[in-house]
Amino acid sequence: MAAVAFTATDLGHAYGDVVALHHMNLEVPPGRVGLVGANGAGKTTFIKILLGILEPTVGSVSVLGTDPAVDLVAVRNRIGYMPEGDCLPLAQSAADFVSYAAELAGIPPSEARQRASDILTMVGLHEERFRYLGDFSTGMKQRAMLAQAIVHDPEIVLLDEPTAGLDPAGREEMLELIGRLGSFGINVLVSSHVLPDIERTCDWVVMLDGGQVLRNGPLSSLIETDVVEFEVVSDADAVAAELHRLGGIVEIQGNVLILSADGRDPFILARDALAATGAPLRRMGARSTTLEDIFLGEAPSND
Amino acid sequence: MTERTGAVFDLGYKPYEGQRLGRSGAIRTIIKDGFRRVLGLRRKARKKVYPWSLVAIAFLPAAVFVGLAFFIGDFIPEADSPFGGHAEYIALTGAIVLLFVALAAPELLIPDREEGVLAVYSSRPITAWDYILARAGSLFAVVAAFVLVPNLLMYIGFAALDSRGLASALVGNVDDLLKIVAAMLAYIVGYGAPALLIATYATRTGPAAGTFLALMFGSAAFAEAFQRIDFVGARFGTLLALIQHPEVVRDWVFDQRPTSAPTAAGFEPWASAVVILLIAGLAALLMHRRYRSEL
Repeated sequence: MAAVAFTATDLGHAYGDVVALHHMNLEVPPGRVGLVGANGAGKTTFIKILLGILEPTVGSVSVLGTDPAVDLVAVRNRIGYMPEGDCLPLAQSAADFVSYAAELAGIPPSEARQRASDILTMVGLHEERFRYLGDFSTGMKQRAMLAQAIVHDPEIVLLDEPTAGLDPAGREEMLELIGRLGSFGINVLVSSHVLPDIERTCDWVVMLDGGQVLRNGPLSSLIETDVVEFEVVSDADAVAAELHRLGGIVEIQGNVLILSADGRDPFILARDALAATGAPLRRMGARSTTLEDIFLGEAPSND
Repeated sequence: MTERTGAVFDLGYKPYEGQRLGRSGAIRTIIKDGFRRVLGLRRKARKKVYPWSLVAIAFLPAAVFVGLAFFIGDFIPEADSPFGGHAEYIALTGAIVLLFVALAAPELLIPDREEGVLAVYSSRPITAWDYILARAGSLFAVVAAFVLVPNLLMYIGFAALDSRGLASALVGNVDDLLKIVAAMLAYIVGYGAPALLIATYATRTGPAAGTFLALMFGSAAFAEAFQRIDFVGARFGTLLALIQHPEVVRDWVFDQRPTSAPTAAGFEPWASAVVILLIAGLAALLMHRRYRSEL
């Protein structure tokens, strides 16, 4: 397995005069990666470049160490893709189509049929596998689309807005399935503008805005802050006074204290203040923000 | 109490560690899928009616003809056959080929594009050229069967009735076989390439088939109009007779006198072969341009 799943080097793409991607530089490790951004941020363009459908106007990309512009077939041998829109032939049964999708990846016919049956069972379509895809509900279609994307056991699967159009129950099921892909040894790139979906399923985030990389890093480092939030059973004012004395910056909300320490470790400060006052602690942890907060705070397009 | 006889296990996800056939396997799969589509196999019953009716029309006369020939004494194929020889039979199957490709080409290309299935192909080990050539290959293979198999039946039937004996006749008439193949190629490429090109840009199968037939028949009328116009270079307009070029090539290889607009305008038969190849080349380039943006 490559140490890097994707790279983009000075990557740019324009549709005529409209610039979709602007000198992107990225290095993304294997795992579950979220590609987030508003509509028009360049997510689908980036995915199409990874698939080799579009060629970069400038710069280059690599997928598992291979540039699709140099060896398209080698990249496509290792990849799966679930597009944003429909990709299902309505006049075929789910079993026939998913089996065909496996054969298209080079799996021999008899094994393709068996594998299609197994994967359709895994995504919860065992009972419906001989029904025509045209008769499927939106949620069932999304699951069939996921099945075709992983039936050939790709090393990386690209999921473009996988929860689009799903009702809450369908969305839960889809997110649960995506969450399991990592345990199957399949690297995942999930593109979405629904940021809570990314927080639930991914451990690395690439944030795009206006065709540029806004943030790129582990989800934990993006959403965790250097602020500690803790709750005491009583004596919150006394603890706050002690924290002030120790040099902390404190905000009190009832019995909850929100502490930052201006470069020092706030956990140490909190420990010392609690020890000094003897206030009983109910809970403590690093205060996290959300991708939505980060995006709304940093994206120039939101100004 | 009922005795427990089995248990259900969730085997979960299993990585695939078996054989992978790669790009060639993917291309073979697309060709095989093409056969199924154009013949309506693994599709609803109504999808089978049209192609299999044409198969019957193409094959039955040859089978009946050869069968009857065995019961008629002193049978002289070219003279006694209601269909004449191979050239005439190819003319019959050529008309069937025209009707067949009119619907088969859209059936091969349009659903993939309109239903978004091209996205699936874009994550499989193939290129846009692989897709186009595999789809064209499946159309051409089925059409070849339309033309070849009935003519082979006749070829073998004629040889069996030949006074020289079967083996001698098969060897002695091998020229006929080559002529059949050459004429077949002219029909396949001459009708298949425009049909595929129209299907590449159309969004619905019915209108695509209608457009193709209108183009083919309209082109003949257009060419005949040019034949009657008296100005410099008007004769080149007769080369627009798309429907007639395969017929010209057929007559050419069977040493018959072509009666088409291009021939009447003074063009040698090879000009029709060149036009067929040029149109096929242009169609391939335009198709690639279209599919490269999605594959």
